[in-house]
Amino acid sequence: MTDDNHGRNIPDQLPDRGREPHRIRDFFSVPAPVKRVFDRFPLVTYPSNELPHCAWPKRHGNRLFVFTDAEGARRGRPSFNPQCLKWQAYLRFVGIDFELVPSNNHASPSGVLPFLLPALPVGTSAPIPSGKLQKWAIEEVHCEEEQQLNLRFEVYSSLLDNRIRNAWLYHLYLNRENFEAVARRLYVDPSTADPIVRTVLASQLQQAARDELLKSSPYIDASALEAEAAEAFEALSTLLGENIHFFNRPNPGLFDASVFAFTHLILDSKMGWKYNRLEQLLSQHGNLVQHRDRLLKFF
Amino acid sequence: MVLELHVWGPGFSLPSIDPQCLATIAYFSLLVPRDSWTLVASSDPTISPTQELPALKNGSTWVSRFRNIVDYLRQYSNGAWDLDRDLSALEKADNVAFSSFVEARAQALIDLSLYVTSQNYYSATSPAYGAILQWPNQWILPTQLHSAAKSRTESLGLSSLDLEAVREQQKRDHSADVAAGRIPQNFIRRPRETVSSLLGKTSQQHQFRLEALAGELFEPLEDLLGDKTHMLSAKAPSSLDCLAIGYLSLALVPELPHTWLRDLMLRKAPRLSQYIERMRRELYGIVNVSDAFTNDGQSSLPWQAPERARLATIGSTLLNTLADSTPILKDIRVNNRLRETAESADSGLSETEGQALSAYTKLQGKDTLISIATVVGGFAALVGYMVHIGVFSAPEAEAEEEENEFAIPESVDAGDFLGSLRAQG
Repeated sequence: MTDDNHGRNIPDQLPDRGREPHRIRDFFSVPAPVKRVFDRFPLVTYPSNELPHCAWPKRHGNRLFVFTDAEGARRGRPSFNPQCLKWQAYLRFVGIDFELVPSNNHASPSGVLPFLLPALPVGTSAPIPSGKLQKWAIEEVHCEEEQQLNLRFEVYSSLLDNRIRNAWLYHLYLNRENFEAVARRLYVDPSTADPIVRTVLASQLQQAARDELLKSSPYIDASALEAEAAEAFEALSTLLGENIHFFNRPNPGLFDASVFAFTHLILDSKMGWKYNRLEQLLSQHGNLVQHRDRLLKFF
Repeated sequence: MVLELHVWGPGFSLPSIDPQCLATIAYFSLLVPRDSWTLVASSDPTISPTQELPALKNGSTWVSRFRNIVDYLRQYSNGAWDLDRDLSALEKADNVAFSSFVEARAQALIDLSLYVTSQNYYSATSPAYGAILQWPNQWILPTQLHSAAKSRTESLGLSSLDLEAVREQQKRDHSADVAAGRIPQNFIRRPRETVSSLLGKTSQQHQFRLEALAGELFEPLEDLLGDKTHMLSAKAPSSLDCLAIGYLSLALVPELPHTWLRDLMLRKAPRLSQYIERMRRELYGIVNVSDAFTNDGQSSLPWQAPERARLATIGSTLLNTLADSTPILKDIRVNNRLRETAESADSGLSETEGQALSAYTKLQGKDTLISIATVVGGFAALVGYMVHIGVFSAPEAEAEEEENEFAIPESVDAGDFLGSLRAQG
């Protein structure tokens, strides 16, 4: 019996309504080959995963989530990510106690590290993203909001946020030797042991860096990036002059932390750079190197 | 040898529509004698090997970007053409820091004002590009620049200026509401939002945000200018003055439907606004679009009419655009273009630059191969799986299968219904 027979026979015996579901079935039914694929799919619901075992027992302190390894977290060593290190150093400088927790971007509510889980008020679970850390620190220890004190704060910060950061992105992610030796070891390998996932993660990281650099120019010119970084270091060195800290403040503050975040990582021999043009450029400015050495004593 | 400066063409009564080009023009007219350079409104980045404007052409050498052109002029003239020659160390540091500051912050505000604010883009910026571009670039380039500006300012979270984005969001909200059965189809109203109503009512916080952004840019500059006649030293302008004039005249001068940026600038930095206005009249004069395309030598700038595009150029532009919008082809093409730049000896890049560039392109080449391999591999895996599972069976089995299909009702719900029909038939 074929479908056509149906069509001819039915109308006598059934009201018109009967045809409609038939037609609808034709439209919405799954084609046989596809259906067969899905029939073979096992439909199993696995029990939900257990919460990750907490290696950092709940102590009642502030917890700062940064890129670091377990060893570094225990000893409070500087993070290997400039953004994390900036806030880690700032909180250290203004005298706030905190513990480090190794983490990654996927664990952060805003998608970006660092963030902080405050100890007080008790029972709060609202994390503080990096953009609000300074405000929180000011409320905690009543330190100064340094941006207000000097108009050059924001202006010179743009050197760090643009020129030096762009050179850093190129240097870490797009220089192939450095990427294999440093970025892969620090960011990719700890995430997973699966080689395929590692390859994908690595190419995602590089693509992100490339997109960021291509936003401001139609192609990436390594020597221009390095020349701009060189100018930026020179300007920062002039700004620091003979002072102990930037803007001649008695204690190191947010600007010192921002500069330290880059200068330390560029000069740190443990990073294992293969190609370190930035270090050559930075080493020409003795006062910046000494500034980094002084601040390293906080760790 | 006459230096040829290739720029984006004039718009908004300024000699160029692009801030970096404006800054470079200001630098030239302050420093280089009028008979030593010509200004060409070519408005086509593909003429320069680095694909960007402003570009300076000297014989077969090309140099692009403001900063590189400034460096090149100093070398070319053995240090004579250098506005920053007499700056003290501290002024030099300020020059670098404020330049980076202006480039980053002012670019964001100009993007928001000229491109992201929909009313301004469609009634001022887009027509201005239309006037200076030749067919078919006038259909291609403005869209590209528009989306580039949007992606640059995405992180600022000020999408309410962009009516398209707002409308899309509203559509999504509406269809979600309709799907959830909360709003009957007939009651959906389509409010026509304007930027002012958006700024006025629904996004006051965005207005605060804009004010803050503008304040962060204008206040330090106003303080730096103080009562001096120029930004850094009282004696002479520096390269920072050129950058500030280039970027801020695009904030101050254009006549737009929605002038929030000019209003904010006049309010937050009155002295700076006066300074920019005075300098841009002195350096640029008032430019009509037609000035750039005639060689009569009447205007204050040494304009030289660009060559008309030839048929071959137009053809290749069309082909390139088509190729650039094809997914994998696009990646390959971008790489090839870069590699050519790096390997041709007369591209104006130094040896180390060339090496860095070719290293980078090779790196990208690898990525493209990986993405092609992924697509091919994924497809092969799917086909393999389907064969394995027996979706495609041998031809003799196929006839049987078709019969099966007509006899259908195996397990589909409607099949039960059909079964009942058959019983009756």
